[in-house]
Amino acid sequence: MDKKLAQKIAFWIFRILGVFVVGILLWILGFIIYNGIGVISLEFIFDAPRDGMLKGGIFPAIVGTFCLIVGSMIVAFPLGVMSAIYTNEYVRDGKISRFIRMMTNNLGSIPSVIFGLFGMALFVNAMSWGDSIIAGSFTLGLLALPLVIRTTEEALRMVPDSLRVGSYALGASKLQTIRYVVLPTAFPNIVTGLILSIGRVSGETAPILFTVAAYFLPKLPSSIFDQVMALPYHLYVISTSGTNLEAARPVAYGTALVLITLVLIINFTASFIRRHFSKKLGGGH
Amino acid sequence: MDKTIRHFDKELIYLKSEISSMWQLVLSQLQKCKQAYLTGNIELAREVVIREKSVNSFELGIDIGCENFIALFSPVAMDLRFIISLIKISTTLERIADFADGIARHVIDNDKMAPDSIKEDLKVEAMFDAVISMLSDSFVALESENTKIAGKILQRDDDVDILYREGRKYLADYIVKDPAKGECILETFLTLRKIERIGDHCCNIVEEIVFYIDAKVLKHSKARKLPEKIQENEVETSG
Amino acid sequence: MNIIETKDVNFYYGDFHALKGVSLDVAKNSVTAFIGPSGCGKSTFLRLMNRMNDLIPETRLTGKCLINGEDIYDKRIDVDVLRKKVGMVFQKPNPFPKTIFENIAYGLRVNGIKDKAFIQNRVEESLKSAALWEEVKDKLSRSAYDLSGGQQQRLCIARALAVKPDILLMDEPASALDPISTSKIEELIFTLKAEYTIVIVTHNMQQAARVSDTTGFFMLGELIEFSDTKKMFLNPSKEQTQNYITGRFG
Repeated sequence: MDKKLAQKIAFWIFRILGVFVVGILLWILGFIIYNGIGVISLEFIFDAPRDGMLKGGIFPAIVGTFCLIVGSMIVAFPLGVMSAIYTNEYVRDGKISRFIRMMTNNLGSIPSVIFGLFGMALFVNAMSWGDSIIAGSFTLGLLALPLVIRTTEEALRMVPDSLRVGSYALGASKLQTIRYVVLPTAFPNIVTGLILSIGRVSGETAPILFTVAAYFLPKLPSSIFDQVMALPYHLYVISTSGTNLEAARPVAYGTALVLITLVLIINFTASFIRRHFSKKLGGGH
Repeated sequence: MDKTIRHFDKELIYLKSEISSMWQLVLSQLQKCKQAYLTGNIELAREVVIREKSVNSFELGIDIGCENFIALFSPVAMDLRFIISLIKISTTLERIADFADGIARHVIDNDKMAPDSIKEDLKVEAMFDAVISMLSDSFVALESENTKIAGKILQRDDDVDILYREGRKYLADYIVKDPAKGECILETFLTLRKIERIGDHCCNIVEEIVFYIDAKVLKHSKARKLPEKIQENEVETSG
Repeated sequence: MNIIETKDVNFYYGDFHALKGVSLDVAKNSVTAFIGPSGCGKSTFLRLMNRMNDLIPETRLTGKCLINGEDIYDKRIDVDVLRKKVGMVFQKPNPFPKTIFENIAYGLRVNGIKDKAFIQNRVEESLKSAALWEEVKDKLSRSAYDLSGGQQQRLCIARALAVKPDILLMDEPASALDPISTSKIEELIFTLKAEYTIVIVTHNMQQAARVSDTTGFFMLGELIEFSDTKKMFLNPSKEQTQNYITGRFG
């Protein structure tokens, strides 16, 4: 076959497949927006659900999800960043770091429902925190941990060694080098990774199912030992177990739209931060 | 580049100052030698002989300086030409000083000196003056990096050559007339010959200066033989 | 007085014998250059002097390496203090992703200096010594990455000077730069030797010739010849040196 023709065909196959992926994403988005936009109103966002969750809004679920995001990050961020610093800065190519890295990957491949079960067993029952924000936060935090570790490690690895060596050569200690050179340089990428893992966590249903999420709780939490509603679980509930599933459809689509918007905002923020900082620092050096 | 003088330039400036000191020394050697020869001043002649040593040490110093400069700085273009011409000029200056030394030694060996009448007939003073002015003018050419006067300097050598040829003929005739003075005549002829050689060496120096500044090789070329041509160019360029 | 003295230094990367019995003395306020083919050990030797090789696992050293008469491989030596005294400039400019000012101030800050006026003065002084002040005095708060490669390298030199080291090690400081920047760095090296002792490793023999007072020629981990630079480039005493510097190597 003609070489140029083959090239043309290959090019078109790649182009069609590429467009196809974008098409699917747009289709889902369009579908959700088309079906959900109707119920979106100030009341829907800022009011509590009423009448078997068919009326009113989803405010408690939004607040609940927000609490869980913040809580899980408080758990995952220090743990994840510190363990990444340990494996990347201190035991770089040793057996320990390889072991930790392997374990992190394994942790990341555990299905989220197992995290839910584990969270229930440990935080809810053994620690007797009950179904609560703190139990859910720890469970979601553990789920996010592998992602936080991996993205932080990635960010640390992108800091050129020449900077570390340059810092040592000025008489800086290892800790000073990490604190004043490595972390500030890696910061934008660490934050980006963190935000991406927030996106991941905010959509999870299974881990919160057993640890925090309330089926119906129209009031806001008053302490970290309260139960809350959460967007993904709320969506699950009104789509599967209501008395009138048909009537609940628009509410479900509305909830889905809010959730998807939240995740998209988080992702855009991530890429904005990355671009903003890398420009400020003069680009990858 | 910035205006600060580079390390490299400092070395060049040093070499330049060395060569100009050497030049001044050789000039004064020539002047003293002329004075000593014309007046038969043995004291002055001795001074010339003594100072010959410091000319030699100048030559050695400049040679070492140039060797080091080439080894350390790998000069190119104008800098390279400068160093090459410097090496040759210092050697040539040393030869000129050797001739002055030779003449001075002849003065010290007083008994074979020619009588003043012969010196006057031979126009020795004019010959001395010509080569001294050639040497000092070529120094001006180097200092001012100006080759316009090169032609004039080369032309003056022709005058020296003419005086030399006339002098040789005069001495040849003289030896026939007065064979008893043979040795004295021969010594006088050698002195004449030395002055003539000094003129030739001055021409070599001028050629080196032209090579350094204009990157033109005058040696063994027609331009060397036709100084008028250079003068024509001179008119063109200055006009 | 000799500020650096090494006696029979052997260095190993694992099983690889990288330096074989190197002994040499470096005089105070001089520029010493190390030349030699790639992998000859010249950089390894340079990095011994501020113990940068410590960062590489499985390395071993025998022999003595004295700086100001003190064995820098003695157990009582604080490496951070040593590195403050023995500054280093690297092959590629490696400014921190901070402002120009903070880059210079960094070395002072990590050494516990907090006095703002002092830091301010030292930053200016260092930039002046590195012949960079005129070019950056109006943009000290700009990112160091806004500077050109040559300026970045001079910034790195200024950064090293800010902590007032006794010795400045330079590992091919101009090999990533254009000729104009290179000649600026070389000029700088020449002026800096009034206050510092400089040891430079270079691939570029002409550079060694231009900037150094003493030159060491390394080959296969051995110090073949160590002598006055003029002598080295005019009349080397070893045939190997002659072959290398004239390009008749191998």
